Amino acid sequence: MLVLQLTWEFPPRIIGGIAPHVSDLSRALKKKGIDVHVITCNFPGAKEYETIDGVEVHRFEAYAASDSFLGWVLRMQKNMEVKASEVISDAGGLDVIHAHDWVSGVAGIELKHLYRKPLVVTMHSTEYGRRNGLHNDLQRSIHEIEGWLCHEAWRIITCSHYMRDHVSWCFHQPGDKIDAIPNGVDAAKWQFPLDYWGIRNRFASENEKIVLFVGRMVLEKGLDVLINALPILLRRGIPAKIVAVSEGPEKEKCQRLAQDTGVGEKVYFTGYIDDDALRALYRVADVAAFPSRFEPFGIVALEAMAAKVPIVVSHVGGLAEIVEHEETGLQVPRDNPEALATAIERILRDENLKNRIVKNAYEKCLRNYDWNRIAEQTLGVYDRVLHEWRSVPWKPT
Amino acid sequence: MILTWEYPPKRLGKISDHVYILSQGLVKRGHEVEVLAEDDLKPGFEDMSGVKVHRVANPVKTHPMGSILTPVMTASVRMEQEAADIIYYHRQMEDKIDLIHAHEWLTVPTAISLKHAFGLRFVLTLHSLEGHRCGDAFGPLSLAIKEIEEMGVQESVRVIANTQWMKKEIIRYHGKKHGRKISVVQPTKKGWIPKIVSVYKKDVKAN
Repeated sequence: MLVLQLTWEFPPRIIGGIAPHVSDLSRALKKKGIDVHVITCNFPGAKEYETIDGVEVHRFEAYAASDSFLGWVLRMQKNMEVKASEVISDAGGLDVIHAHDWVSGVAGIELKHLYRKPLVVTMHSTEYGRRNGLHNDLQRSIHEIEGWLCHEAWRIITCSHYMRDHVSWCFHQPGDKIDAIPNGVDAAKWQFPLDYWGIRNRFASENEKIVLFVGRMVLEKGLDVLINALPILLRRGIPAKIVAVSEGPEKEKCQRLAQDTGVGEKVYFTGYIDDDALRALYRVADVAAFPSRFEPFGIVALEAMAAKVPIVVSHVGGLAEIVEHEETGLQVPRDNPEALATAIERILRDENLKNRIVKNAYEKCLRNYDWNRIAEQTLGVYDRVLHEWRSVPWKPT
Repeated sequence: MILTWEYPPKRLGKISDHVYILSQGLVKRGHEVEVLAEDDLKPGFEDMSGVKVHRVANPVKTHPMGSILTPVMTASVRMEQEAADIIYYHRQMEDKIDLIHAHEWLTVPTAISLKHAFGLRFVLTLHSLEGHRCGDAFGPLSLAIKEIEEMGVQESVRVIANTQWMKKEIIRYHGKKHGRKISVVQPTKKGWIPKIVSVYKKDVKAN
């Protein structure tokens, strides 16, 4: 089976979560014997063609003059589609087109009709969700393109049940056209020799408890809720310290909030740190807190689970599916610093609870979020669309 | 197969009538013509005295104000879909499209996609140039349109200019190296349609 993966970001070009997702998925599919060709934007220093663990990566010229971001995305995808045509011609055909989000989906629509092959689309997010509604013509235009893409897709993949319902509602798609397949995590990446105190001492003093936050500093990620929980913890005699691996438009606001609530010295803003440093930081943390207000999936929760750190999350979106309350972590209502503080306190005080949660979470991580298993589920979607495709008259002649 | 942004009853400028007269003239001379046109108000198929007209509507209705680029790009995707359907239909009938004739930069994205997917060459008529319309403006929209126009000149097998002056201007904007592939056919002169057919024939042979 030959599958094209269309994505505007692929390592080393990383903009958000799609690049690592497509990279891990493609390699896991290749291990299952699928021929995977990734078509992606070029990037300074990256080769026009390379193979990574057997996955063939083709980069095209992504530059195109435009008067807007939207215009560029559409022109860029035209280049993506022309590159894909070359790849298809060299490979002598293809079986399935798999596009990721609207930033590569339009090229998917074109290829679907040019080659009459089934199109599978993963909706990682939506414009409506990102913007908390649609407020201008640009956002409405992107929303319409996403809807067009969902309409053209043979099947849609979302990374949580929450997103399945959201996409179904947002674009009037029947629920049975959408498969929820979670994101994955490679737990082996968290197994390495660690200089525990050497790392830990960089972020907190020995008696302090590290409460780790990882996420962009935007309203939807809820760092402000965690900062508001900190004075409550301190009042109850918990020597908590927030370490926030975070950058974003609300940085100043969060820093000011920490100062205003009198906990400025107990909140450490690290800025962006590299993957290795982040994994080490996860492993020295005492608890991880993700008090998001909107979350399509919540890959940070998987990372904490792989690192064997107990987690507290808000009951929203994908997070609520990853974390079962009292089993693999604690859930709290969103936007509630009091409840968040109480949950963090329980984990820090109750060793048994903490150990149980960590053990269950790690096992779930290996069981449900292993890329091999995710590749199997994705392959199930490919097999299904190919089977259905064989039974319809719509074919290249 | 003729690609155009306008075909009667849609009239934005003179290209609509030009393409109409050309397509009717071609059919009268025994050629088979499929016209593919953008028309949000009249999508669908129509047989106009032998000319097979396929009008497609833009799949995306909302666009940020003030730019023609994004509607052109989304409509071109729909146009490609229709073109692919026409090409597959002809293959099924055991006959084939011999040549694509694209008009203006507006249909260049579709023509390029069809060229790469199906190996079909295209002839491009440039009725006007972005350089003239915008007086050499270097605004981002103008640069984008010029780039698409340039890609059309690069990737086409032949460019048709309506006047000798236009040929000179195309060379001035897009470079001397393209001079040899520009043919001048003046639609104001008698016998211009047979002349276009003779231009086609060179490129069909080359196909």
